[in-house]
Amino acid sequence: MRTSPVRNGIQTGTIFGIIMVMMFLIGFTVIGAELIGKILGNPSISGMPDLIYFVIFMILVGVWCGVSAAKRPLYGPDSVKDAVLAGLSAGAICGLCAAVTGFIFGSVAANHIDVRAYLVSVSPESISMFTFNQNPTLGALALFGVMTLSSFLSALVAVEVRTSQKIRTMIENTSGSISETVHSQRISDLLNNKYARYGFYLIVAIALIILPRTWGGYWNYVFGTVGIYIILGLGLNIITGWAGQLVIGYVAFFAIGAYTFALLTAPVPHNLLWNFWIALALGIVVAGISGLLIGLPILNLRGDYLAIVTLGFSEIIRILLKSDLLTAFTGGPRGVHDVGGPTLFGSSFNTDVDFMYIIIIAVLVVSFLAYRLQNSHTGKAWVAINLDETVARATGINAFVSKLLALALSAAIAGLAGALFASRNQFTGPDDHQLMVAINVICLVIVGGIGNIPGIFLGAFALKGLPEILREIENYRMLVFGILLIVMMRLRPEGFLPAKRPVLEKFTADQRSSTDPASHPGNLETNTPPGKGK
Amino acid sequence: MESTHKLGMQVCIETQKVSKIFGGLTAVNAVDLSVPEGAIASIIGPNGAGKTTLFNCISGYYKPEHGQIIFYGQQIQGEQTYSVASFGIARTYQNIRLFADMTAIENIIVGQYPRFTANWMDAIISTRREQNEEKIAIEEGRRLLKFVGLEGLGDHLARNLPYGAQRRLEIARALANKPRLLLLDEPTAGMNPQETDKMTHFIRSLRDELGITILLIEHDMRVVMDISDQITVLDYGTKIAEGKPREIQSNQKVIEAYLGPGGSSLTKKYQLRKKQRHAIIN
Repeated sequence: MRTSPVRNGIQTGTIFGIIMVMMFLIGFTVIGAELIGKILGNPSISGMPDLIYFVIFMILVGVWCGVSAAKRPLYGPDSVKDAVLAGLSAGAICGLCAAVTGFIFGSVAANHIDVRAYLVSVSPESISMFTFNQNPTLGALALFGVMTLSSFLSALVAVEVRTSQKIRTMIENTSGSISETVHSQRISDLLNNKYARYGFYLIVAIALIILPRTWGGYWNYVFGTVGIYIILGLGLNIITGWAGQLVIGYVAFFAIGAYTFALLTAPVPHNLLWNFWIALALGIVVAGISGLLIGLPILNLRGDYLAIVTLGFSEIIRILLKSDLLTAFTGGPRGVHDVGGPTLFGSSFNTDVDFMYIIIIAVLVVSFLAYRLQNSHTGKAWVAINLDETVARATGINAFVSKLLALALSAAIAGLAGALFASRNQFTGPDDHQLMVAINVICLVIVGGIGNIPGIFLGAFALKGLPEILREIENYRMLVFGILLIVMMRLRPEGFLPAKRPVLEKFTADQRSSTDPASHPGNLETNTPPGKGK
Repeated sequence: MESTHKLGMQVCIETQKVSKIFGGLTAVNAVDLSVPEGAIASIIGPNGAGKTTLFNCISGYYKPEHGQIIFYGQQIQGEQTYSVASFGIARTYQNIRLFADMTAIENIIVGQYPRFTANWMDAIISTRREQNEEKIAIEEGRRLLKFVGLEGLGDHLARNLPYGAQRRLEIARALANKPRLLLLDEPTAGMNPQETDKMTHFIRSLRDELGITILLIEHDMRVVMDISDQITVLDYGTKIAEGKPREIQSNQKVIEAYLGPGGSSLTKKYQLRKKQRHAIIN
């Protein structure tokens, strides 16, 4: 059945119109304009960004609207006409929504009513920017015009690009040549070449040695945080990603590691002033043991008991640390100050550069451990428990011990991250160990690709690195997280980089075929092509 | 070879007065069962007769309330499932239960788990023991893939394999631990006649070539009568008959269990009519 292009356009336009109004109501129009200003190398110093950046922002929204309207499934022979019609109507509807909003709020502001009493983010400045610093009627008309025009033009361009044979062949050629280069024999030889790989590792190593020295304190701080979250993500991945046991209160083990380390090295509550490395090891061990103790009573049960118990445990830990009861022992709500830094052969080693090195080494060590565990029988047993615990038990896996081991290792790794965190900040307090930390870690593991080590790196950069860099959207972090999680669940439920299973049979079969050419795969009664039996 | 197969003198698995009670329902009621080494024994019975429950008692999912389960002279009732597996009892499931998101060969490698001795520390420092075991595990996985006819499909996810291949992969996973007793829960469920024939041959070859004792639950009477050395019939959790296929076919109680009271007269009528029809045709 052929749906009318105008109706398609109206549907798309309504969605974009609603998004537009929502963005205005939460003040995101201003933030968007600011971001564009920043990207174009002209950050606003005093509050509001320039009007031109707001116009660019609106045009971008309009372009997006037009492109997605033109992208709706087409439409028979007059696809160009239909798509342009769809783009035009989408832009008109979106512009209408914006114009009505602009007109209402513009008139309200013109009568000197402060809307901020009801909607915190809608300041008079943002209203006046929304109507292009004009009076309400003119602003509304301008809004309508900008949205319609940009949507219409973008739909036109999109259709041209898609239908034009020339451009299509050009795109196909370039993508073809790119994939050819990627898949060419030379490249794959290069990837399989031992020396080329060592060369690559060497380049990465040199970069990791040089970069912390050159890029300054701010970047060391940002990437130090990212590194600590990578460690946390790799740790959580063991119990949640591989063994499949959801742990919500993961921050409890982080807190135990941090406080063990802090209390052993800080002068104030106990004046122990232990050596950095011994305290670090003890922080790891104590966190690991706490994981073991938490797991003992509950890991024999199935279901999400572990999630609930650890959630409670993490809150108990945080409240205990805050309470007066333990103030003499843990420093109470004020936390522990002057936590010791690392030393190397008796000399101090705690500049931000040195600390970056320690975090890099810790990340490398933990990823190495994770990699080795992933490929071991233990790792396979964890995945088996995750996929079907009943059957895993029946194939001879002691699920309880396996899960306990996974939890203890996870907790120990969280302890390492906590100790490093406390030492780097030279402080740790109850507020460092909010539940949000654990939620962040779960998010980054899910977004990056659950069960996959490179995915966790990507997730940590995306969720901890980007917000640090894009300070403007700090207030919208929860919103962005929510949207990101929903979008991920819809589009890529396995994360950006989903976990892959290793190739084991082919690997050995290839080796065999080089020595024994008589052997050939694919025989007997399985003539069904692989992958078709779904 | 199949008809001349000699049964061992030793008893492989024996249940003595095993009962399993769920609330007020006695799912398995004082069942005695004895399977000699090297036999193919079948358990049959109407739906809800307690066949799978008995399997679950043997493989350690359930702890029976009464009675003993003896595997080569060793009492195993109430043991954890993973220890039962490590004694040498492997099983498959009525509805196929593979590790769907692992590859076929990985499924078999996980099946070898009780034979691994390397622990996580070995894995981290990659000791010789770990490396050797990994190599042996992959080779064994490849061998078993070939044995069940899945060579070349080992690196596909188990969920993507065709139905018959999944059944055989499940058996391969069960074989990976070199079991002495294999419990098959409806191995030919959902198969067409050709596939069923193939599976019947395959089950017999397991016994003949690997010397594994096999205990199976099956609804397809053709399969049961064809390959069983011994048949046990359960109804409402109680054993109502036991014996060779020929004996079971003519057992009044069994016919009644399947067809309801008066069933035997029904079958008599049926046979009479059949004879008459034959007479007419001839």
